[in-house]
Amino acid sequence: MSENLKYVGNPNSKAADGIEKILGKAKYVGDMTLPGMLYAKLLTSPVPHAKIVELDVKPALAVEGVKAVITADDFVDHGFFGWPVKDMYVLAYQKVRYVGDPIAVVAAESEAAAAAGVAAIKLKLEELPVVSDMHKALDPDAALVPLEPQIGDGNLLVTHLVRNGDPEPILAECDVVVDESYNFQAQEHGYIETEGVFAIPEPGGTVVVFANDQSPHINRDNTAGMLGLPAEAVRVIQPPVGGSFGGKDDHVYQFTGQAAKLALITGRPVRLVLTREESLATSYKRAAAHAHLKIGMSKDGVIRAAKTEYLADSGAYASQTPLSAWRASMHLAGAYRYEAATVDTKAVYTNNGYAGAFRGFGNTQAAAASEVAIDELAARIGMDPIEFRLKNCLRTGDKAFTGNTIDHEAGLTQCLEWVRDQSGWAEKREALGFKTGDDVLKGIGVACYFHGSGLGGEGTDYARITLTVERDHSVTLQSGLTDYGQGSRTVFTLIAAESLGVTPERIVMLRPDTDTALETGPTVASRASIVGGNATKVTAGKLVQKLNMAAADLLGCSLEQINRHGEDFIGPNEEPLAIEAVIDHAFAMGLQMSSQGYWQIPVIHWDFEKGTGTPYYTYSFGAQVAQVEVAKATGKIQVTSVWASHDGGKIIFPKGAHGQLMGGITQGLGYALTEGFSYKDGYPQKKNLKEYHLPTSLDVPEMETHFVETNLAEGPFGAKNLAEPVMIAIAPAIANAVFHATTVRCRDFPISADWLKSQLG
Amino acid sequence: MEVTFKLNGETVTCPVTTKSTLLRLLRDELKLTGTKNGCEHGDCGACSVIVDGKLEKSCIYPARNLDGKEVLTIEGVSNSDGTPSDLQQAFLDAGATQCGYCTPGMIMAGEALLLKNNNPTRQDIREAISENLCRCTGYQQIVDAIQATAKSRLNGGAK
Repeated sequence: MSENLKYVGNPNSKAADGIEKILGKAKYVGDMTLPGMLYAKLLTSPVPHAKIVELDVKPALAVEGVKAVITADDFVDHGFFGWPVKDMYVLAYQKVRYVGDPIAVVAAESEAAAAAGVAAIKLKLEELPVVSDMHKALDPDAALVPLEPQIGDGNLLVTHLVRNGDPEPILAECDVVVDESYNFQAQEHGYIETEGVFAIPEPGGTVVVFANDQSPHINRDNTAGMLGLPAEAVRVIQPPVGGSFGGKDDHVYQFTGQAAKLALITGRPVRLVLTREESLATSYKRAAAHAHLKIGMSKDGVIRAAKTEYLADSGAYASQTPLSAWRASMHLAGAYRYEAATVDTKAVYTNNGYAGAFRGFGNTQAAAASEVAIDELAARIGMDPIEFRLKNCLRTGDKAFTGNTIDHEAGLTQCLEWVRDQSGWAEKREALGFKTGDDVLKGIGVACYFHGSGLGGEGTDYARITLTVERDHSVTLQSGLTDYGQGSRTVFTLIAAESLGVTPERIVMLRPDTDTALETGPTVASRASIVGGNATKVTAGKLVQKLNMAAADLLGCSLEQINRHGEDFIGPNEEPLAIEAVIDHAFAMGLQMSSQGYWQIPVIHWDFEKGTGTPYYTYSFGAQVAQVEVAKATGKIQVTSVWASHDGGKIIFPKGAHGQLMGGITQGLGYALTEGFSYKDGYPQKKNLKEYHLPTSLDVPEMETHFVETNLAEGPFGAKNLAEPVMIAIAPAIANAVFHATTVRCRDFPISADWLKSQLG
Repeated sequence: MEVTFKLNGETVTCPVTTKSTLLRLLRDELKLTGTKNGCEHGDCGACSVIVDGKLEKSCIYPARNLDGKEVLTIEGVSNSDGTPSDLQQAFLDAGATQCGYCTPGMIMAGEALLLKNNNPTRQDIREAISENLCRCTGYQQIVDAIQATAKSRLNGGAK
């Protein structure tokens, strides 16, 4: 970019909301208390699948301190909700479908009274046959998980396809074909703050809910619908959120509806904060999945065709699986050129805990499968894995396997070259690698990725922002786009400061609030920086015009004659005019010093029926290298170094971006090695953080991170997305490094140390 | 029963039960919510505080053991004028806080380390924070922040 930027891209910029967090003053929802508040507690299902034969809440109401108990019967249409598929209830209706399915909620004077109330509820369940294996969910004799079949028959939730030519005849003439299956367990988001809501009834029958969700406007609309109230009667405010990673939407909508109802019934504030055990059992996960990839190439290492299949376990409810399975489909053959490729995807219902949105959104599984497969192809002809990728990977102007052209600048080759050069790749591929007799086996591996920007074919991708110049000369910024740790508040603040020509300190970003922020779509798909950033720029442009009008009026010159020096306005006489004077004059002129702006990603079209079209208007790219040590005696893998390069376009908030990159890698490292949320006959096998191992500071190595700053003309100051894609390459990079170290090919994630040990003899 | 202890430099006396934990006492009774509740089983470290110079998980620390102890929480780490301490500021400067929920516990873990080791290696720091889970940052910028503070204190920087 030719612009001389002051705040955008400044390496010294700090988190705009960081000060309250380091001081311990940030009030998360569980930190809030109010006089007269009640505490809510959930009754959840102890079994994976059962008919609710009896649900009698009267004994709970007799418990001292209990003020109200609610079930699905207390809501309009039993609290039926869900998007894109409507199949969930605010509380279980007619039957329970997974262990942890919420059934009733008690509100009481104390946590202890609420727990006693839950224990007193009379619940009689008649157990039904359990569907726990996604591969058997479509068997003719499988029990039906949803109340009604979603599409066609039985437990089929959704299908997706990609049709780009016919790979079969090409595969038949390929010199080398890899034909393998890859399996992925579910993953828990592991936000350190559990889910929580705090509902406050207001005079006149309206209700305010503080909820640690991602998308307050969607939450408001769902809640209003369940309660039978107009949207204006429900106000959702987002307090600081202690991590989400895609994980605090659908079930937080349930909790919001529940707490709002209890508050309206009792006339008292009601707080519902989950325990860690409730959170692990009740919350949705990254979908367990199975991928089958058949990829062929010529003997000189030119990839030619892919025929692939993908199966996702959506568990008890659809949540976002129809869309994450679509994103998986759009990435399943990886960031490479093909003569022909097809994808056939299915998602199914089971009685496992349900799957929903999680950072990477289907591409985590898709990229892991394809990047191990690509490594297998390179190994089959003895070609260096990075050289093989550079030979076949997508460059500007190439066609993706989905058939669309990469018509924006693609930085994938630069990312691969950076991790190669920075890691000392060539020397380490020589020096490390399997050696019989070694107790500690060492290796180095690579993986790369592309990741479609924004919602793509999932929906209209837009944002609205409001900027207001206040009489105290501060500027308030309002957005319904939220920050749950990923840094969007800082990104918007920096873009607003840059665009308005004011210091970031002058900008005050209000909390997302459905009563005051404009409806702006969900905060998902790593889209906030692009759509929200652009909307901020558009809005700032309108305010700058007003400020310039006031300055020109004061200086007696034309708008075109106004120049800016820092915050000052300079007219033809070169005398600087302070912004405070300009703002005061603007108010004196009667100008309305508030503006709203809208920005939408250019429209693309994907034909879901035919499996053709353009899934995304652009992509971000990246490459990661992992170095590992495997203890032969135990099979334990230690990642000792990581190098990561991401093409995210212009980096707006560098410290935050590097933090996102390293945090994503850490989440992917856990996905590869220590996590894995599995079910046995529908029962979750891990119930707390002792059993579910999030990576610690000792599991994660020092990382070298880097950005390739290509320019996306449509992005704010040239920015692309980064929060999600940065987590997806590390799992396959680790698996590929383990192959280098041990000659054992890992195709199941997480990689079990016991299994690896058994392979090492 | 009652316990009397020093909390962030002030003497406090509180009624406690055999079941009360320090975390619940701080958050529910004393309204000091800077100390976070992440799991209430000692697995995540979000509730970390310093008791008699030692890092403790307040969620599994029995309140009845507090008599005569000195407790330091995130609220007591800041300078007396309410501005951030050097370590708190270093977290902000290094980009070590994202969602912020682990941040108070991490800062306490850093302080506890620096109390006993004024010149820690990066590995020392990683070990000192190894029972404090962070899901956002990947820990590296947290290590940077604690290391930068150690260096600045060694060079005579104000605490």
